[in-house]
Amino acid sequence: MTEPLSPILTLNNVRKKYRGCEALKGISLQLFPGEMLGFFGPNGAGKTTMIRCISGLLKPDSGQIRMQISANSDATKTARLGLVPQNLAVYHDLTVQQNLEVFGRLEGVTGRPLQTRIAEVLDWAALKDRTRSLVKTLSGGMQRRLNIACSVLHRPSVLLLDEPTVGVDPQSRERIYTMLDDLTAQGAAVLLTTHQLDEVETRCHRIMVIDHGTIVADGKLPDLVRQTIGRPHRVFVRFDQPYHQELAAFSFDEHRTSAMCPIDSMQELPQVLAVLKQLDREPSQIDVRSFGLQDVFLALTGRSLRE
Amino acid sequence: MILTILRIMYLRLRNNPLELLLVFVMPVIFFSIFAAIFSNGIATGSDKQLRMAVVCVEQTPVGTELREFLEANSSLQCTSLNDNLSTQRLNDVTVSSLIRDAQNSGRYDLVIKLPCDIPSDTTQAPVQVTLVTDGQNSMAVAMVSSIVKAFFSQKQARAFAAKLLRPQTNENDTVEVAAETSSLGTLAGIEMQKPNDSSFFHAAKTPSDFFSESQIQQLMTTDEYGVIRVGEMAAVVPSRWALQKSVDLAQPQSLNAVHQEVPAPVEIDDDVSLVVENPQAMSQENPRIAMYAAGIAVLFLLFSATGNAAALLEEEESGTLDRILVSKAGLFHIISGKWLGILLLGCVQISVMFLWAEVIFRIQLWQHLDGFAVMTICTAAATSSFAMLLATVCKSRAQLNAASVVIILSMSAVGGSMIPRFVMSDQMKEIGKWTFNAWALDGYQKVFWYQSPVSSLQTEVMVLLGSAVVLGMLTLIFSQRWKHG
Repeated sequence: MTEPLSPILTLNNVRKKYRGCEALKGISLQLFPGEMLGFFGPNGAGKTTMIRCISGLLKPDSGQIRMQISANSDATKTARLGLVPQNLAVYHDLTVQQNLEVFGRLEGVTGRPLQTRIAEVLDWAALKDRTRSLVKTLSGGMQRRLNIACSVLHRPSVLLLDEPTVGVDPQSRERIYTMLDDLTAQGAAVLLTTHQLDEVETRCHRIMVIDHGTIVADGKLPDLVRQTIGRPHRVFVRFDQPYHQELAAFSFDEHRTSAMCPIDSMQELPQVLAVLKQLDREPSQIDVRSFGLQDVFLALTGRSLRE
Repeated sequence: MILTILRIMYLRLRNNPLELLLVFVMPVIFFSIFAAIFSNGIATGSDKQLRMAVVCVEQTPVGTELREFLEANSSLQCTSLNDNLSTQRLNDVTVSSLIRDAQNSGRYDLVIKLPCDIPSDTTQAPVQVTLVTDGQNSMAVAMVSSIVKAFFSQKQARAFAAKLLRPQTNENDTVEVAAETSSLGTLAGIEMQKPNDSSFFHAAKTPSDFFSESQIQQLMTTDEYGVIRVGEMAAVVPSRWALQKSVDLAQPQSLNAVHQEVPAPVEIDDDVSLVVENPQAMSQENPRIAMYAAGIAVLFLLFSATGNAAALLEEEESGTLDRILVSKAGLFHIISGKWLGILLLGCVQISVMFLWAEVIFRIQLWQHLDGFAVMTICTAAATSSFAMLLATVCKSRAQLNAASVVIILSMSAVGGSMIPRFVMSDQMKEIGKWTFNAWALDGYQKVFWYQSPVSSLQTEVMVLLGSAVVLGMLTLIFSQRWKHG
């Protein structure tokens, strides 16, 4: 993906005190058209507060939030913002079609354009066969897809999703990300918060980590690994009994039952394996693995519980 | 295991103060409300005075005497409606206006109209006393009727005794002995006169002044129309009777003989008639049903309105409210849209109730359509604002449910949806004015019971619409929490 020069959403030093504590401590970010930004952080880090500030549901204490395409450049909410709340924000006692109609009208889409758009969105969300079904009769995955569908009827240029895949099966999750990929392909910017590390790693174009109301990392995964951990891969060796001889390039733990060797690329792997060949005792486990977002996340935020 | 289940129940109850409120405080509140109503209202007969207005068409001595007689009765609370008016005879228009205003004010159980030219002796000329009722308190008519009859009984007895006091000597040199037992049983009159006889009895105040106890007992038992209690208030006695007998004064002991015989009763033929009027009843079939319909309609309107307003809290909990707030619909649109929806639903709900009452009970809805429409819209508007305010103040659906049950049932009990307001004490009525129910019911009462024109609903309309506006403004203020956290 090539980032356009002009961001569609800009946050500049946004601060917000919420229920007595400083939830956002000067957040700054840019979101570009066609980009999917994964917002990641422990519980209580400030993700939802930030989304509520961007969507205009909370007023920041200071700082600026700007939508580039808005006629009013100072507006915090424009007609082209879409919000997908964390809960299933649809009417369970209405049908799929009825939900789409009312939320389309609330966004100012009416008449024939609304009917056309509903047909498109039903197809996009794979809900075409369930238009007359009451929402409460749908599966969890269908309800989640409808939850998203209700927010895109007005073709938002920025779509905010607060944990859109909570509680759905892998197939529905895959479908939801396919839907989001379609949106970004059409030029929409997507900002989503989630706790699903694999989704952020594999689906998002860029990752931001927020902790204690501050953005502590911003970039693509390899960059984050390099910034926080250093080398992106490592070779891990475990012994049944403490191993007291030294191994070149490996560092042991305090009990000397495991050792690790970080490497920059797989090209270095033969050299490391050559070192392991010299062992006079067979290790119980040899593991070659790349560092992921989990490692970055724990490195940035620590292992202590937050709640 | 059972103990564990009990412990779970106990802990859940303890951790839920609203449920505790419903379980323990609500019954106490309701007990207090109903105890207050019944202890000062319909249950104790002796505590609550009948509120009666008196209109004297002309200020006459007998009229004034009757008014004072009524005022002296501890069961009555009398108000003279024409004290401040001219002492001249009132014309019919003025009298009708005074009576109508008194009835429409709802402050009186009964209005009594005293005619002009009431003679001192009602045996000489007919007297017609009119009792004007609105039909709400049927006991008032019976009670006041008996009191008025008692007044004229006493009046007749005195007049009769006075007649006998005039010196009369008959040919047989005897005196007339007359005694009257009235409904009060307190008067007896006797005349014993003989030329040159120094013994001269004037009217005695009570039979016991003249008759011996055994004679009184005999009088009591000889009354063929029922027991006449001497010296105390009696049950209603159909008419007054007098004993009239010639007694030979030369044989004083013959006095006893007179009363040992069964005396032949002589009816005192007065001409007092009590006319009961109910202007409302003449032009309607079933006003009481209309009042019940209004009471029940307002009670359920409050419940359905808060139920609908609770959708706001459901939308908040599900995140739908956030989605709508982010859309082109702002907070004002959401609040005003829901307010209007609840108002319209309320109007339909009340209309259905009254239509049913019209079909089944003939409450004459079509004749009062304008007043009904005004009261219904105002009541629904106030109720809608009240429900929306509750929804914006409460933090959750459960909290709203608990609060609405407590508030609505209390309002309905005090405001007259459960117990008619006219049986409540004045104090309870005043307290009831802090509720929508009372103002709504007063308005419907004017429309359906008193047949009042729409213009007479000004106060009710102002209070209900004023409440709607004030509560609506408060709703907008409290709803800001959704806009900016």
